[in-house]
Amino acid sequence: MTLAAGIGYALLALGPSLSLFVSVISKKPFLILTVLSSTLVWLISMIVLSGVWRGFLPLKTTTWWPFGILILTSVAFQEGLRVLFWKVYKRLEDILDAFADRVSKPHLSLTDKMQIALAGGLGHGVAHAVFFCLSLLTPAFGPATYFSDRCSQMPFFFVAAIIALAFVTIHTFSMVIAFNGYAEGNKLDQYSVPIVHLVAGMVTLVNLAPGGCTVGIPLLYCIAMLTLFHCGRMVWRRLTENQSR
Amino acid sequence: MASTFLSLCLLLCFGVRLSFSGQSNSMESVPDLQKSMYKVVDGYPCVRLLSLSGPIGCSNPGRDKVVAPIVTFKNANQLSKSSAILVSLDEFESLLTRISGDSSFASKVAGVLVESGAGVQNKLKGFSPELKFPQVEFAPYHNTGHQWNPTGSGIMWKSYNFPVFLLSDGSTETLHEVATKNENNRKGYTANVAEFDLVMQVTKSGNHGSESCLKEATCLPLGGYSVWSSLPPINISSFDHSKPIILTMASMDSASFFRDKSLGAESPISGLIALLAAVDALSHVNGLGDLTKQLVFAVFTGEAWGYLGSRRFLLELDTHSDAVHGLNNSQIETVIEIGSVGKGFSEGGHRFFAHTSGVSSATNETLAALRHAQESLPSENIKIASPSDSNPGIPPSSFMTFLKKNPAISGIVVEDFDAVFANKFYHSHLDDISNVNSSAIVAAASLVARTLYILASEKEDARDSALTAINVNASLVEELIGCLLTCDPGLSCELVKSYISPSSACPSHYVGVVVDEPSSTPYPGYINDVPRFIWNFLSDKTSISNENGSTGCQEDCKSRDEVCIKAETDGKGVCVASTTRYVPAYSTRLKYESGVWNVLPPNSSDEMGVVDPVWTESNWNTIGIQVYTIQDAGYDRLVLFGGITITILAYVAIVITRAFITKAMKRD
Repeated sequence: MTLAAGIGYALLALGPSLSLFVSVISKKPFLILTVLSSTLVWLISMIVLSGVWRGFLPLKTTTWWPFGILILTSVAFQEGLRVLFWKVYKRLEDILDAFADRVSKPHLSLTDKMQIALAGGLGHGVAHAVFFCLSLLTPAFGPATYFSDRCSQMPFFFVAAIIALAFVTIHTFSMVIAFNGYAEGNKLDQYSVPIVHLVAGMVTLVNLAPGGCTVGIPLLYCIAMLTLFHCGRMVWRRLTENQSR
Repeated sequence: MASTFLSLCLLLCFGVRLSFSGQSNSMESVPDLQKSMYKVVDGYPCVRLLSLSGPIGCSNPGRDKVVAPIVTFKNANQLSKSSAILVSLDEFESLLTRISGDSSFASKVAGVLVESGAGVQNKLKGFSPELKFPQVEFAPYHNTGHQWNPTGSGIMWKSYNFPVFLLSDGSTETLHEVATKNENNRKGYTANVAEFDLVMQVTKSGNHGSESCLKEATCLPLGGYSVWSSLPPINISSFDHSKPIILTMASMDSASFFRDKSLGAESPISGLIALLAAVDALSHVNGLGDLTKQLVFAVFTGEAWGYLGSRRFLLELDTHSDAVHGLNNSQIETVIEIGSVGKGFSEGGHRFFAHTSGVSSATNETLAALRHAQESLPSENIKIASPSDSNPGIPPSSFMTFLKKNPAISGIVVEDFDAVFANKFYHSHLDDISNVNSSAIVAAASLVARTLYILASEKEDARDSALTAINVNASLVEELIGCLLTCDPGLSCELVKSYISPSSACPSHYVGVVVDEPSSTPYPGYINDVPRFIWNFLSDKTSISNENGSTGCQEDCKSRDEVCIKAETDGKGVCVASTTRYVPAYSTRLKYESGVWNVLPPNSSDEMGVVDPVWTESNWNTIGIQVYTIQDAGYDRLVLFGGITITILAYVAIVITRAFITKAMKRD
């Protein structure tokens, strides 16, 4: 499929992340550091998961529930890690605020905190895209293309790229929702993030059915849009609340 | 709004019935994915060969691989773009003729894939890419209009500027499926293509003839090693080796349009097997050393490419080289050549023709010996017939070389045909085991063995009682057929493995190229499997039994009369007393000097050398075919455009959102 297609698929998966990085993250060095360390943490989490599951793979099964268990355990591990991530961030926030007091500078504002959450989410999204899409893209730079027999309507690499894009969106904005939920003590937000992650993961199982990708991928994008929407509404509410104080 | 969104999504979810049937293509890693994208196809190539005057064969037109969508020949009439044509064997010749004739059609042909299949020999009446009079320029007579091979089309002697491959049986089916998928393709932006890698070095360097390519070392000359053996061994140290020699010969190489599929079962391997079986039969006779004449057996290679083996053999005899030490040209009294004998089965009996050149007392003696041998074998029901008078002379055979050198030499060529080859698949990949009959080979071997005994002994000694002791082992013939003409067991059969360790199981009788400096004691690694086997076999059969059989001959054997056989097997070799030697086989117009092959100017004393094309084979890096699916270039650009668009749109959306939030924040 040549260089053009390879770059095209890579941009499909990571282009919006790149745009976000350039327009928001790159302005503040602390955010760049946050993205990098977040990507690293989440990549390590996926490597640990693959290491644990290596002994059970390949799953020689024609039913879907072993894959379901795989997704369930992976999502549970990552959500547990998210709580830990939050706790580390809280510690860091306290340290930064104490430092700010010492140099008579203001504490982290609400927008700062949201941007840090966004950077953390972007790191998670980029880690997912690298692990699940970019690592598969090397053959896409060669002359041949590939159509999976269960999804013969679109090239395999295209499917991988757009699924990765959906997950990048979900992870990026879920982190904002989650951090906000933990900060406010909002149980709904705290629980909706893991549930959305799990549901998104399970929806990809629909792609296992022959021709299922024509249903699975739109469903996944529904979930991504929902996440984006919910995040937008929450951010708007917090900001206007903050203003009115 | 979110709720309507959610309900839409739920609708989608319930609107589909999920089933997970079907096999999953289990890929465990990205290299697995890469492998499943590119299907490697088994194919036998047609390669580029050069003569002094120009090229023949096939090659990629440049330095790059050729990539083209696969189309069947039936649908090739409306070709819009350059394609790879999948053609069946019966239409292959007409395709090539059409390409040579129609240049607009030829410009759309990127490559040709030839199907193979079981039973194709039954459908075709005959298929021969050879000329109608093979190697006509070497004939020792002037009537060159006679068509020995009427089914010949001559396509293997033409030059093609595109790759041609013969597919194996399994690959034929794969490619049929791929071609059908191409035709039924609804997705306009993909195509199934074949990628041909047949880049020849002479095409890259722009060499058009043997001389220039040999100078630039982009090609190597065709040739190999012939084997000769004497029964019983010649005692070199004794002074009296002036017995007249009866030379029996056969050739071991064939040719075909596709280099690696030159089996040549009927022409000439049937003759080779008959010779080997005759040697085996005669080796059990006592008192061969007391016969008045010496029996010498020679197996030549390179005969299909300008009689390289026989010409070089005679040249070495003239120069008294080490390779033919013990032989003298003047000693050769009679020559018997065993040509194609595998089809001599007709009407319940066996019929062979004794082709001769000229009349002489020695020839008549040989013919009489043949008749005597025929009569001593009533059970075989053999008939020896004289060829018809309308024949211009002997058929294409190594004996032509001997005649050119000495027109008075006496000899006969034993063949199973009269005026026209019985072999309808001469020099094609279809000349395989189904084209020969083992009982005909056994009959020919018995005939020749007994004839040789009659000729070599005084007339009184050739009693019937002695003759009845000479019997050809029919199971040996069957075994040799299985070893030399099939892939299973092929060269990994017991007989061959007891002498050598073969490099592959499938035998190929293509002469090959001369890899290093030709010598009389070549390094065994440079000699092909079949010549090595023949050398070991003949050494073993013609050896005098050695009581103190010393095992292990890592260094040379003690006396000059001994050779080390079975050196590649586990036993590490045995020294036996035998006179069996390799003789280099390459064009008499070539000379190897300080690492370079030089073409010598034509010499009027070497008539055959004057007309010798001096065949060389191009070097190459890799040869192969791959099949994969490609996307249109337009689709690739669309994907890139889509990726860039999404990136830009996301950027715009983010900037707008940020501006919106900042404005809203500053509102109060």
